[in-house]
Amino acid sequence: MANRAPVRTNNSALIAMIADEDTITGFLLAGVGNVDLRRKTNYLIVDSKTTVKQIEDAFKEFTTREDIAIVLISQYVANMVRFLVDSYNKPIPAILEIPSKDHPYDPAHDSVLSRVKYLFSTESVASDRR
Amino acid sequence: MEKGEDAELQSSNHERDANVLEFMDSTDSYLVLMNSLSSSLRQGWLELASARHSMGASRISSALFDLKSHSAATTLQLNHQIAGPEAEKLHFSLCKWASSESPKSCSEEAKFEEEDKLLQRTSNSPKVLDQDGSSNSVQEEAPEATESPRTVEDQARKERLKSLSMFGMLVSPKLRAAQSSFETALEILVEVANKRADLLDAYDQVREKMESATK
Repeated sequence: MANRAPVRTNNSALIAMIADEDTITGFLLAGVGNVDLRRKTNYLIVDSKTTVKQIEDAFKEFTTREDIAIVLISQYVANMVRFLVDSYNKPIPAILEIPSKDHPYDPAHDSVLSRVKYLFSTESVASDRR
Repeated sequence: MEKGEDAELQSSNHERDANVLEFMDSTDSYLVLMNSLSSSLRQGWLELASARHSMGASRISSALFDLKSHSAATTLQLNHQIAGPEAEKLHFSLCKWASSESPKSCSEEAKFEEEDKLLQRTSNSPKVLDQDGSSNSVQEEAPEATESPRTVEDQARKERLKSLSMFGMLVSPKLRAAQSSFETALEILVEVANKRADLLDAYDQVREKMESATK
């Protein structure tokens, strides 16, 4: 009743974003924007001026921060740092590749699906069945 | 002996089939969810573009983002569910529009608290009637009255307005529509995250079975 544990306990976590301006604007409207005391944000807007190094740094920062549970990354941005995204295999934060305005979602590039892809090969399943 | 071996083989095959089915099922759900995420994001971008068209490009831009220190109104909660003797399952749930003034409750959880409180209030109602005349009872009632279901809606509305207010006080209805589309997208994203965890779990199990079978 009144003593029910509140949902927002210590394990409440943030959603980080690395995406284009419109996607970030939309999610900020949905209330996920967070700015800490050092004025560090939980998002990175990627435009034509953003360098791969900046994306890499943001990805590394978001995936090591303990207060982040999900990192949303536009798939075309993930393709720019594919080696980092594919080599990441921790359960938290979960990396979710999302579509962007100019680049629709392509399952063939999704890091999760490419990790599990080899099971779809009929040969690997069939050889196991013999 | 042969019958026993056959039964064992059959049950292990059955288990493996179940794992493969679970894996295929979660992969399918993941793809379906990604599809609905795409359409909800598309809707959001369209509404954002319409809002930008009616309000002007300079009024909806990243230059207006709130860079003052503030905490997120919508956060995630992580639950660790025990799925087996050694397995632990991750579950993400969304905590929407928690008030920045009272960050201890979010609107979804607050709804349940409200139901509890309403139940409590109805069971306490005769007592309340008895003490109706005393000033103490009025004071005791006051904090409960502030937590009415309306307050929960008000809190969410207030927080929604707060995030809209970075683009001005009078915003286009299209911007509100975009906000709601992105909220839906966020709900789908949390489902995607959960499905992703299920998918990787099922994948690990199938791979384990395959490896043990080849040994």
